[in-house]
Amino acid sequence: MRSLALNVRVLWGCSALLQLIALILLFAKGGFRRLPFFTVYVALNLSQVAFLVFVYSIWGSDSAKGTILAWSSECVTLLAQALATTEVLKVTLRPYQGIWGLAWRALAFTSALVVLSVALVTHGDWSLAMWFELNRGYHLTFAAAVIACLLLIRYYSIPVPAAYKMILGGFCLYSCTEILIHTVMQSLVKKAFYAYEPIWQSAPTLSFVVVLSIWVAALWKPLPIEVRKAGPPSDSIYQRLSPEINERLRELNEKLLRLWKLEARPQ
Amino acid sequence: MNLPLLLLFGFAILLVLLLTWVLRDPRKLPLPDVDLGYAEDPDRRHVTYFPQVRQAMAAEDSAFLASRGSQALTRRVRRERRKIALAYLACLRGDFLKLWRLARVIASMAPQVGAAQELERLQLGLAFSWRYEMIRMKFLLGFAPLPDLGSLSEVVSRLSIRLETTMKDLGERAALGAKLASSLDGRGLDTP
Repeated sequence: MRSLALNVRVLWGCSALLQLIALILLFAKGGFRRLPFFTVYVALNLSQVAFLVFVYSIWGSDSAKGTILAWSSECVTLLAQALATTEVLKVTLRPYQGIWGLAWRALAFTSALVVLSVALVTHGDWSLAMWFELNRGYHLTFAAAVIACLLLIRYYSIPVPAAYKMILGGFCLYSCTEILIHTVMQSLVKKAFYAYEPIWQSAPTLSFVVVLSIWVAALWKPLPIEVRKAGPPSDSIYQRLSPEINERLRELNEKLLRLWKLEARPQ
Repeated sequence: MNLPLLLLFGFAILLVLLLTWVLRDPRKLPLPDVDLGYAEDPDRRHVTYFPQVRQAMAAEDSAFLASRGSQALTRRVRRERRKIALAYLACLRGDFLKLWRLARVIASMAPQVGAAQELERLQLGLAFSWRYEMIRMKFLLGFAPLPDLGSLSEVVSRLSIRLETTMKDLGERAALGAKLASSLDGRGLDTP
């Protein structure tokens, strides 16, 4: 039975402390009312640390039972992460009903596309390290979907409060580093994984500590209540104008194309 | 590292870069509210200066200069005029972008947004940018397809007039909404 390395335990301690601070801030500043799923996510993560310490001290980090229990707990927190992110996006886009409708479709489409790509890319490797593939596939899908939504938000110049931006950015950053760490580790230590286990355990924890620091900074001030009041309902205006604008833009593009295709005449 | 892993690694790097870009401080991006001001001041449209630009670029002027002045002077005038044309093209693009953003503001305020419509507009915007760059290159290389700029301006102008009317309409509706809300908040205090 193998116990956790000292550096890993120190990082876990830092992570637990920061999660506790984040949780206290969420309750003290009233953020739990605005972001209940995010609060649950932080609480679940904190519980997971305690759970993993308990599991690894009983069964060790190299036992089959310990591995299954650890990964099962990870599934729960990953589900909570997805819900917390959707919640932050929904809060940000609440005044923009139309854009939110577009965003959740973008989220679903991007997720489906990435899941399909991951399945194709990792085809045949599933039996080797199923948990790692699943975890990486999840983070890949998650990061791609959230970035697609953030792109949409930027495209429509929708103002996002700094705190929400930091929370979303933190989630994405963590997922991106997870993908990078898993990919590098898989290629470098495929045959001698257990020799590099402390590195594999400490690297994601380190990135999570960084993300938690960002979140603590974001939660330091109370979360904004409402991003912006929505404008007047203008569905008919949109329905009437949108095709017309597109028609004009298309016309303009055609003119440009004709201009481009003109015989080159030296001046 | 095999190909799938390399692809995954590259994709992750791309995601990090995109994340950095998307979370960058958008101070340089004009806010929708700033754009709304544009509709109130139609004189700011660069398309209105097209007759002057066309006059400045008239072939007759160049021919006259070539027949009377020196070659050096003619070349210098052409260079100056090309600069004007390039500046005008850039302003035209500015007008296009402002109108394009106004269209996005209308979309962001709508309770229901058509994905196909928005995708089409995005496509059109990208195509416009690409073609604009190509035409700009044409100018820079010494070719001047000026006659067609007139119809370009016409399209932008027509679109802006249409949008101006709509933005005014939206403004009136917003004012009406605010008035209604305030009278409801007042619980009939403003009624006789």
